[in-house]
Amino acid sequence: MTDPDDRDGPGAVSIRPFGDRAFLVELEQRRDPGLVSRSRALADAWEARGLGPAIPAYASVVLQFDPGRIRYADARRAAHELLHAVAVPPDAAAGPITVVPVRYDGPDIAETAERSDLTVDGLIAIHGATTYSAWFLGFMPGFAYLGPLDPRIRAPRRPSPRSRVPAGAVAVADGQTAIYPAESPGGWQLIGSTDVRPFDPASDPPARIRAGDRVRFVRA
Amino acid sequence: MIRIGAPGIRSTIQDAGRSAGLRSGIPPAGPADPQAFATACGLVGLPPDAAAIEVVGLPFSFRCDDLRLIAVTGREVRVRSRIPLPSWTAVVVRPGEEVVIEGGVVTRYVYVAISGGIDLPWVLGSRATYLPSGIGPWPAALAAGDALPLGEARVPTERAGMRRAAPDHGAPVRAVPGPHTHRFTEEAVEALFAGPFTVAAESDRMGLRIQGRRIGSTGGELLTCGITAGAIQVPSGGDPIVLLADHQTTGGYPIIATVLSADLGLVAQRAPGEVLQLVRVTGDAG
Repeated sequence: MTDPDDRDGPGAVSIRPFGDRAFLVELEQRRDPGLVSRSRALADAWEARGLGPAIPAYASVVLQFDPGRIRYADARRAAHELLHAVAVPPDAAAGPITVVPVRYDGPDIAETAERSDLTVDGLIAIHGATTYSAWFLGFMPGFAYLGPLDPRIRAPRRPSPRSRVPAGAVAVADGQTAIYPAESPGGWQLIGSTDVRPFDPASDPPARIRAGDRVRFVRA
Repeated sequence: MIRIGAPGIRSTIQDAGRSAGLRSGIPPAGPADPQAFATACGLVGLPPDAAAIEVVGLPFSFRCDDLRLIAVTGREVRVRSRIPLPSWTAVVVRPGEEVVIEGGVVTRYVYVAISGGIDLPWVLGSRATYLPSGIGPWPAALAAGDALPLGEARVPTERAGMRRAAPDHGAPVRAVPGPHTHRFTEEAVEALFAGPFTVAAESDRMGLRIQGRRIGSTGGELLTCGITAGAIQVPSGGDPIVLLADHQTTGGYPIIATVLSADLGLVAQRAPGEVLQLVRVTGDAG
């Protein structure tokens, strides 16, 4: 490519151009709680320096800046410095716990149990046995990616997403679980439903589950 | 107060956009065409964080209770009261005078800025409306009979008659390759910039779909990552989408290139069936 990626530090960390007012810092291509923590720490540090908003995800963070306030080259330098300055945070699984009562009545629960060589009751027991960490929010307002899901539950994304998943649907996919905050299209396997609404635009903050919080599911 | 007559279809209150909710999954919203919005606000002397009206669907009409300076920007937009008024120009309107905005078949997003600005409270640091989740101080499309408060009534009459040129709405659009260029062959990136692409009908404030040569990505699953406006996503087997103001904050499709922020308005205003030609630049070209 004519615009080579900057590689920086150990492993394969890269700082990639993302238009004229952002960079994408990619740590690795895997879901891992340590990488989630590091992504969030980098986002926090960028915002704390007043350079602009940042959006962390599994193992990456988008660093936005205002080219009217900081030049492109200087923003790039600041992103490099950030990678060296921000230490890997200690395991920060200490956020408040939200307990979510679930009716395990989702249309995909039997198929998910069968694929996992589990009974439905066995799947429910395993899903409820983990205290999940909210890795990050994205996809739609208030949608928290909760993990890690016990690997005994095998749940690939559906090959063709549903055009309509109801609000409060409890779902699993790709080693994670989540609650749909509002009706939307969605490709995850639906195993249950809850009356908990993780997003209320009239509340401040509107997202009830925030990154770093913990979530437990109990059978309603 | 500003009182809405004909409301259009999905007209909303917008400001420069909301960054405070990005990490809660809340799209930035703000104007689909940031350049036309900023021009309208600038013409009537509003600061960068001011709120104004984005009109979708014409005609749109309104009256103000007191003397105001207004500016209307957009593509092939026509403005009149009892007499025709110029668009892309600061004009004085008298108390109670009805202003009617009409357009042509290619008109998409029209901006109405009023001196004093729309005076609504900030919600999560912004007055922008995100309609799908009802976020913002006026979390609904404008309706006939709505009355919205305006800020300080001082009319900067020295600005009356000031005008700005409308851009060439058919101009090529500049884009920076990446961030996921490693997920595409050099041929695919060249095909994107060789173009041209045609704008698909199903385009909205979330994004503009473009159709042309098939562009395939390489590599396995891409982990979801954060997104910024202007990102050109390439869904597997699908048409590329240029993301606009109401884009999701994260996404899992590879992004082949990203439109320069200064050219986002040219993307948003492109009408279905029209041609979009992308031009390759570097990130420091803005």
